[in-house]
Amino acid sequence: MLALDDLDSFYGRSQILHGVGLHVAQGQLHAIVGRNGAGKSTLLRSIMKLTDRVTGGQLLEGRSLGADSYLRARAGLGYVPQGRQIFPDFTIRENILVGGFAARSGKRRIPDIVAELFPYLIQNLDRLGGVLSGGQQQQLAIARALAMEPDVLLLDEPTEGIQPNIVEQIEGAITRLNRELGLTVVLVEQNIRFVRAAADHFTMLENGRSVASGPIGGLTDDLITKHMTV
Amino acid sequence: MADILFIGLSLGSILLLIALGLSIIYGTMGVINMAHGELAMIGAYTAVLAGKYLGIGLIGSIPLGFLVAAVLGLVIERLVIRRLYRRIMDTLLATWGIAILLQQAIRLQFGLSFFGINIDGLGPGLQSVSVPAFLRDPVRLGDFVLQPYRSFIIVMTLILTGVTWLLLYRSAWGIQIRAIMRNPEMAAACGIDVRRVGALIFAFGSGLAGVAGVLLAGLKTVSPDMGASLVVDGFLVVVVGGVGSLVGTLISAGLLGQISGIFASVFNDIAARAVVLAVVIAVIMWRPSGLFNFKGR
Repeated sequence: MLALDDLDSFYGRSQILHGVGLHVAQGQLHAIVGRNGAGKSTLLRSIMKLTDRVTGGQLLEGRSLGADSYLRARAGLGYVPQGRQIFPDFTIRENILVGGFAARSGKRRIPDIVAELFPYLIQNLDRLGGVLSGGQQQQLAIARALAMEPDVLLLDEPTEGIQPNIVEQIEGAITRLNRELGLTVVLVEQNIRFVRAAADHFTMLENGRSVASGPIGGLTDDLITKHMTV
Repeated sequence: MADILFIGLSLGSILLLIALGLSIIYGTMGVINMAHGELAMIGAYTAVLAGKYLGIGLIGSIPLGFLVAAVLGLVIERLVIRRLYRRIMDTLLATWGIAILLQQAIRLQFGLSFFGINIDGLGPGLQSVSVPAFLRDPVRLGDFVLQPYRSFIIVMTLILTGVTWLLLYRSAWGIQIRAIMRNPEMAAACGIDVRRVGALIFAFGSGLAGVAGVLLAGLKTVSPDMGASLVVDGFLVVVVGGVGSLVGTLISAGLLGQISGIFASVFNDIAARAVVLAVVIAVIMWRPSGLFNFKGR
C-alpha cells in the first residue's frame, strides 16, 4: 500500500499542498482529479520528491520512502511525468533502459509487456525518441516506467494533447496493466469518462487540499460540477 | 602551411582535453568549474615533481597526473561543490576561489615556505619537464617537418577522446551521465543517483585536465598561473561546440585551435586571440546553444 498522510509540499516558500492524505491499496487504480492548478501534478511530484520540500507520512508497503528521488524510484515508484519528458537524443532502446537503473532485480532490460502494449516501440528501437509523435513519446515514457519494475505506477495526465486513436491505445494499456497484471496505478487525469471507466477509487483536490475521496461511484456529477467546472 | 596546420592541431588537442572535462562537468552538474585550469596546472606540477623525486618521465607522469587531478577533483566536489548544488553563481565564485587557493598553495609550496621549508620544483619559479629523447628530434618528411612530441599530444588526445566516447556512449555510466545532462530531475526519477554520478564525472573531467597539464608541461614552462588562461580557452570551445556534445567539442577545439595557429603564425598571438573571440561571438549569435545541440519535438 502507498500511504501518504498529512502531506505538505513546497516550492521555495510557496506551499502548494496542505495536509493531503492518500491511501492506495495494492492493485488499485486511484484517480486524482481536480481543476487545473489544484495540485494534482504537484502531488505526484511530491511522491517522487521532486518539489523543494515535502513533509508528512510517506510510506510504501510500510517502509518509509527515501529522501531522494532516485531512492523512491528504486523503492518501487515508476513515474510518468506530465509532458512525457523522454530523452530526445536517446534511442527508444536507451530511453526504456534508463528506467532499468531503478529495477530492483538489478537487470536493465526491456520488459516483455512493452512489446505487447506498444509494438511500434519494439519495432523501432534504434529511432531517436525526439522524432516520435507526442503519442509515441507517451508510450515510450510508460515503457520507461515499466522498465523500473514498479510496484506503483504514477501517471500524470497520460492522454493530454494526444491524438484520439493513440489515446485509446494508452487508455487500454493503463487498464490492462492494472486489471490483468495487478499493477497499482495512481492516475492524474482530466478525462472523467476514462476515470469512471478505469479507476476504482478517486481523490479530488482543490487549492492543494483533498476535498473528496472514496470509491469511484462517489465521483458524482454534483461533485464534479462543484469542484471541477470553471 | 602544413606545419602551421599541424601546430594548430596540437594546440587544439590540448584545448580539447581541457574542454572535454569542462563540457561534461558543466553538462552533468551545471557547474562552471573555474578551477579547471588549475587542475591542469596541478597535472603539470605532478610531472615536474614525479621527475624530480620519483625519477618518472613525462610519459609515466600521464597516468599519475590523471590520478592526482582526479583525486583532487573528487575532494573539491565533496568539500565544496556538493554543498552548492544547483547554485550556478555560487559554484562559479567558489571554484574561482579554489583556483586562487591552488595557485597560491603551489606558489607558497602548500604554505610550507612560511616555515622556511622549500620543495624543489614548486614555488614561484618556472619549471620545465624534459621530453623523452625519442619524441624530441623533428622528422623531415619532404617539405613537412613532423614534430614528434606534438604528434604524441595529438595521439594521446585521440586515445583519451576515444575513451571518453566509450564511457559516454557504450557504458552504463554513459547513459546515466547523458540522462543527467539532458534532464537531471527525470534522471533521478529513473533511479539514477545524480550526485554520485556527478562526483565521479567531476573526478574524471579533472583527471582529463591533469593529463592536459602533463602534456603541456612538455611543451611550455610550468608556472603556478599557467591554468588561468586554459579555463577561458576551454570554455570558448564548450560554448562554440555545444554543452555536453562530444562531437561539438571535438570540432570546436579543432576549429579554434586551427584559427589560433594560423593567425598566430601569419600575424601574431594577439591578432589570433582577437579572431578567435570574433568567431566565438559570431557562432553564439548564430547558434546560441552551440554548433551541436540536439533538439527533439
